[in-house]
Amino acid sequence: MADAKGFACSVVTPERVVIECQARFVALPAHDGEIGVLSHRAPLLTRLDVGPLRIEKSEGQTELFFIDGGFAEMVGDRLTVLTESAVAPAELTREGAEALMAEAKAMTGVDDVAHAARQRMKRKARAQLRMIA
Amino acid sequence: MANRRLLVKRRSSVRNIRKITRTMQLIATARFQAAHSAAVSRRPYTDKLAELTAGIAGAMGDLEHPLMKVPEQENRSALVVLTSMRGLCGAFNANVLRLATGHLDANQEKDIETEVEMAGSKGIAFFKFLGRPMTQRYTHISDLPSFDQVEPIANALIERFVRGEIDSVDVAYTKFISTGRQRPVVERLLPLTQLVEDSGAGAGDGAGPQVEYEFSPNPEELLNELLPATVRVRLFQAFTDAAVSEQVARMVAMKAATDAAQDMIKRLTREYNRARQTQITLELLDIVGGANALA
Repeated sequence: MADAKGFACSVVTPERVVIECQARFVALPAHDGEIGVLSHRAPLLTRLDVGPLRIEKSEGQTELFFIDGGFAEMVGDRLTVLTESAVAPAELTREGAEALMAEAKAMTGVDDVAHAARQRMKRKARAQLRMIA
Repeated sequence: MANRRLLVKRRSSVRNIRKITRTMQLIATARFQAAHSAAVSRRPYTDKLAELTAGIAGAMGDLEHPLMKVPEQENRSALVVLTSMRGLCGAFNANVLRLATGHLDANQEKDIETEVEMAGSKGIAFFKFLGRPMTQRYTHISDLPSFDQVEPIANALIERFVRGEIDSVDVAYTKFISTGRQRPVVERLLPLTQLVEDSGAGAGDGAGPQVEYEFSPNPEELLNELLPATVRVRLFQAFTDAAVSEQVARMVAMKAATDAAQDMIKRLTREYNRARQTQITLELLDIVGGANALA
């Protein structure tokens, strides 16, 4: 490790800046699988899926969030995660996730747009369930 | 005599009104501060999104996307009007609604069928009174709109636009420029025309040397996600602006009402004192007159 300070990391939602810190390592739920980011990574712009976001801070603690899609940008040793919602795992409940799953299963509509929305909602529910378990 | 008691009564009722309007002013001030600081903390997302879009646009050169497609002929359009849930906020609603009806009339002249989506019970009541049709009514938006409340509205609009059910979407709302200035505007939400607008804050770092990103997936697909996100966040921004402006408008209106009540109390006090003095003078005249008659 080149420096112990790590890199700047921030998680931003439309409503507020959720966290802004120095991180040693961040695991992102990218659209095609998990991506790990260390200091001095090459510039990256990627789409995110629903899933867990793990930030290992320079001071040692680990922060975990459930994020709902969005984008991550790594440029100049600065990682920015843009997502429409980021919640702490403690705020997720099994009932909430199951309700989401039920809602997804109850969705009707046969065209591509509706299908994509349903799949997305199911993926979200599954990812939440995995995080609670 | 009766006159004096009447004046006292009126003065005390005006005092009560002043107490109420002053309280409402204080509440509006507190709400404004909360709304304003929330609005400020919402900026980073908007700025960053604009920056990313600009970055991708730079990497791609020519942009083409369903959300940016300008139809050759506009036949159907939608107008989202943002008004407040509560009154007593001066000309806040009237200004937006005047602009909205003007926009609707202009569209009618151009033969564009326009449907109205009205947010806020004040606007709903006004359009009901005018007998104008509304396709959607939203009354669930709180004082400080959350993204969860706005997102479904935006998603429904995007879906209908992509399907070609509507050719354009405009939003009529009160833009918050500063505490002293709010302007009612009609802005085009869809199709997206200027991508890199209002990046006043982001322009400094955005205009730097082009970064050679590693894109994943490719820029086209990223754009597919970024543009709807831009639309959603723009609508959200409009809702936030409207909420902040509403509180400012209420603050100003209640300040004016408090001042007016203050003036009225002053005037009533003066009238009361004059009435009292007149009565004393009359009584004195009576006494003096009586004494003179006896002498």
